[in-house]
Order: sequence, then C-alpha cells, then structure tokens
Amino acid sequence: MIKAAALLEVRSFTKRYGDAEVLAGVDFDLRPGEILGIIGPNGAGKTTLMECLTGLLPADAGEVWVHGELLPPARRREAMFYLPDGIAPWSDQLVWRVTGLFRELHGFDSAREAVVVGRLELSPVLDKRVAELSKGYRRRLLLALALLTPQPILILDEPFDGFDLRQTLHVMDLLREVAIDRALILSIHQLKDAERICDRLLLLDGGRRLGFGTMGELASQAGAARADLEEVFLGLT
Amino acid sequence: MALPKYFRLARILLAHEIRGLLASKALWAMLLALAPLVGYSFVQAVSLFAEASKSAVEFPELARGMTPLDGILVPTLGAFYLAVTLLFPFVAIRAIGQDKQTGAAKLVAQFPVGTVTLLVVKTLAVGAAWCLAALPALSAVAIWALLGGHLYAPEWLNLVLGHALYGFAITGIAFFAAAIADSVATAAIVALAFTLGFWVLDFAAGNVQASWLQALSQMSLTAALRQFEHGLFSLPHALEAASIGGTLILAAGVWLVAGRTLPRKIGLTIALAILLAALLAAAGQAGVYHDVSEDRRNSFAPADSVALARMDKGLTITLYLSPDDSRFKDIEANVLGKLRRQVPRLTVRLGEAGRVGLYGSSGDDRYGLVVYEYAGKREESRSSDPREILPILHGLAGTTVVPTETPSYPGYPLVADASVWGGWFYLGLPLLILLFWWRCHRPARPNFEKEKP
Repeated sequence: MIKAAALLEVRSFTKRYGDAEVLAGVDFDLRPGEILGIIGPNGAGKTTLMECLTGLLPADAGEVWVHGELLPPARRREAMFYLPDGIAPWSDQLVWRVTGLFRELHGFDSAREAVVVGRLELSPVLDKRVAELSKGYRRRLLLALALLTPQPILILDEPFDGFDLRQTLHVMDLLREVAIDRALILSIHQLKDAERICDRLLLLDGGRRLGFGTMGELASQAGAARADLEEVFLGLT
Repeated sequence: MALPKYFRLARILLAHEIRGLLASKALWAMLLALAPLVGYSFVQAVSLFAEASKSAVEFPELARGMTPLDGILVPTLGAFYLAVTLLFPFVAIRAIGQDKQTGAAKLVAQFPVGTVTLLVVKTLAVGAAWCLAALPALSAVAIWALLGGHLYAPEWLNLVLGHALYGFAITGIAFFAAAIADSVATAAIVALAFTLGFWVLDFAAGNVQASWLQALSQMSLTAALRQFEHGLFSLPHALEAASIGGTLILAAGVWLVAGRTLPRKIGLTIALAILLAALLAAAGQAGVYHDVSEDRRNSFAPADSVALARMDKGLTITLYLSPDDSRFKDIEANVLGKLRRQVPRLTVRLGEAGRVGLYGSSGDDRYGLVVYEYAGKREESRSSDPREILPILHGLAGTTVVPTETPSYPGYPLVADASVWGGWFYLGLPLLILLFWWRCHRPARPNFEKEKP
C-alpha cells in the first residue's frame, strides 16, 4: 500500500487507560528536515503519544505512515528512535562504554563517536560511571546516544531539561544541524524553547489536538496574529 | 538480517551484557561469599573422608564404601548449590531488572535485534557468570586431585552437568520474575518464592503421603539434581530442568516485547504454561538413563538388567509398608528405583496395611510384605535385598540368569589433610576476586583524540 506523503504521517492515534482516554484521534505529519514540537500542559498525552508512535506502548487505534508506507508497531524502530525523559540507563557502566555500545550497534566509526562526544562536551566525563554524572551531563550523554543512531526520525522527550540557557542554545544549534539529515520531534515543556527551535508545533491538551501548524498558523487559530507562543498556548488551552 | 551482521550484533550485545554483570555488585558479593563457603565444605568433607578412610585402608570391605562422589564432590558442590539457589537469582535478575528499573529497557527495545536474540545473549552472559561462580568449586576438585584423591571423570562431569542444568532453570525463574515484577526487589522475592518452594515441596513430599504430592515432588529441580548427585544421567530430569529454564526464559520474552497489551501477555504466558506442562509430561516418558557412577550403584548386574528389560508383560509390585518405614526406603533405593528404569511396564503401589507401631509392629500380619505379580503369577517376600528379590523376579519371568563376573568396586579411601588449602579459599581466592573486580572496575579506554580524522 503506497501513499504519496510526507516523511511521517500519523493518523487517528487513540489510547485509553481503562475509561480514561489519554489520546483522542491525534493526527499530524512531519516533513523531511523539519523540527516538530509537541507542547501541552502536564498530562496532555505528549509522552504517551511518542511511546505509542514508536511502538513501545500499544495504541488502541491509529496508523503510522513513513515515506508513504504503513508501518506496524514492530517495524517502527527501523524509521524512528525515541529518547525518553528521566532515564539513567546502564548506570554502573562507564560513559565511554555506553557511547561505544551505540556506535558499534549502529555500525558507526570511532570518528563519528568522537565528533558527537566532542560536540556535546562529554570528554571530561568519559571515564565516569553513568550514575556519577550530574543531571546536565546525563542529559548530554542521552543526546549523544540519540545522535549515534541512524533512524531518519529522532523523537526526543524534553531534550533541554536539565540544561541552563547557554547549554540549551548550544544544544539547539546542534539539533538544527542534525535536522539537515534527519527530522526531529521534540516534546518541550518550556514554550520559549519550543518557539525558538521548532518549525511547526502540535498543541495537545487532555489527549486532544488543539492546534497544529507554524507559529503564525497557531496564532491565527488563537485569534491573535501577533501573539507569542505563551499567549497562543493560553488562548487555545 | 544477514547472518554475519546478526552474529556481529549478538557479539556486541554479549560483551555489553557481560560488562553489565561484571559491573554489578551482586556478582562480586556472591563470588566473595562462595569462596569461603565452598572452601569450608571442601575442607570439612576431606577431613571426614580422611577419618573414615583411616580404618577403610586396612579393610577392603570398608574401603568399598569410600566413594569420592558421595564423600567429597557432592558436599563440596552442595555449597555451590546453596549459593546458586539463594544468591544466583539476584545476579540473573539484574540482567533484566536493571534495564527495566533504569529505563534502559526502552532503549534496548529499539535496538536492531529481536527479543529472542536479546534473551539468548542475556542467558549466555548469565551463563558466563555461572561459570565464574563455579570456579571455587572446580578449584576444590583440582585440589582434591592434587591431594591424591581419585576422580572418575564421567561421575563428576555428570554432576557438573546437573548443576549447570539447575543453574539454567534458576536463570529462567529469575528472568521471568524480573520480567513480570516492577522492581528488582519484587523480582527477588518472586524468584526466591520459586526456589524455596522446591525445598518446601521436597519436605512436604517426604512427610505427606499424598500421591499427587509425591508425583509433583519428582518434578522439583532439587529432585532432578539429586539424580545427578547419585551418579545417574537421567534424560527425563535433564529435559525437565531444560524445559523449565527454556520455557520461563521465553515467558520472560513475552513480557519484555514492547507494545504488547496486558491481556495478550497473560494469554501467551498461559499458553507457555500449557506448553511447559506438556514438555514435562513428555520428558517423563523419555526413559533414557545412564549409570555413570563408578560403583554402578544405580544398576543391577548386566545379565540381570538384560533379563529385566525383557519383562514387558506388566510387573506389579505391592508394598504393605509405610513410606516412613526404613525397609520401604531400603527397597526403594536398592530395588524399586532401578526397576523403574529397567522394567518396561512397572506398577508400584502401596497396599492397605496398618501403619507401623512404636516398636515396628502394626498389628496387621501382612505388614512388611511385598507382593510381586507378573504374567498371572504371584510371589511374596519380606526382603529388601536385591540378591533375594532378583531371583524372585527372574522366576516370575521364567528366565534363568547366569551371573557374570564383574570387577567389584574397590573404593578409594584417602587419608589427606586439606586444612592447609583453607588459605586458598579464605584468603587467596577472595583476594584474586577483589583483584579481578578492581581490574574490571576501571578498564582503559581508547583515546578518541587520536582517532579523530
């Protein structure tokens, strides 16, 4: 079944926990080289959407099309890599072992690993165990792991959490470079950050899509053409 | 996926899993506990064996009872068995539980390999940890040989195989517990409930006469290991341990596959439980046994065995004895256990007789009687000695067995002192373990700067 489509098309994603509907028929698409932000208040369904999208959680309904091909959950890891928030994987392993694992698994050379380690300034902590890292360094390590994967779509949950402003801007620059080759979906809690980096935004609340489009399109939808994202957010939620 | 790529990924993941186990405190704590535990058991076993050997070296009749399998190997590996039952589950649980607890499982689920490959790799890594844990016991075997002790390779290799199968089954239990539990601590409780449950089952079967409990206890992992400890290679028990381990590892996989709904996980687990029951039933019918003991304790003389194997018309043995009676235990160990492996259609049942009284009398004249029925003929005996029972059976079958001369087991008494080797187990081996841990703790890493293009 072939469809002419964007890089990724998500249709009617629905997820229930018992009687509670946490995703209610969410649709969106992603274009090549695009950075798409998922925003919404706590409990909006952002993380659930990303986990269903990548097949880590079973969705009750919905389709995922990649390059016009319908992908079942078991095959979605071929097209997308999801980096969850708040994890500390392999905490008793050394940092260089963990980055080395991803490099080897995905068939990259040491030069690629060195570039990623260098760009994320992980060199000072390579000999430390993951459990010994500060929150900022752990976040950088997780980003490094995401950058050492080959999938064309990268899905990051709260990628700027744990960074100060300077670090956030640095990581944004890096992600923009990444978006030259790969499309990104970012779940972002801080609206200012989302406004800075995202090409389009998906606004969720209570599992429902309240808005989807560029900043300008969302502002029009909110009826305030010159509003910033915070005002749009308050207007639509 | 092409085969070379598959093996490359499996090798990378295996190295990763082994590194994870080597980084875990549980493994090193188990090794440190094992060294003195095994050492103490070994030194004590050699000391007791030496005491018994003092008189045995002068009397050949006594010497025949001196078997290194019973006197040295089983007690030494008994300490290892204890550690595998109580400590090894913690090491094996970590292979899955740690990933779940730290969130790594969500990344692992996106690795370019399937769940089955991941489980095979994790099982191999845990197998490597088991090999490490077996080193103190194997070093004890080597020391026994150095002391001049006798070793019969089929006996101790069979014993090691039994322990390996037991370890595999414990790995399955630990993996399944880790897969269904939310935390490592809960998984440990679930795994210990399983392993200690086998002890309770054995204890209950020894004290309660319910036939279903007796049958169930035969499927306990400790009962399976006991066969190997007796110098018997029992295919049914080997298949049983392998089935329990393999099915539980698969069941762990059911719970680890990402994106699967809870009802589907439960349904697949029930299907695997049914499969396990079928496998256990099939394993019981395997009927392949090899007596690998040097003293041939698990077999009758070859000529008797050949004659018994031809008794295919259904032999029924009725015992008017209480299972608590020492005569029952004697006849079970000396005759019935061997007959079950050699006579094609054997039925053993307990006859209705009053229980044995305080002084061995039940008040029922039939008490103590054993009735043998075959092809419409019937014989009775009160003996538990195979030298009296076998002629009865051959008579019922109408066969004449000419005894063949077989070399008798000489026994291997040894007056030796292993106390000096206590230093190896209490100090040398723990120091080596600590040294190995230190070496594994901070491995040298490659220099990225040099590798930059």
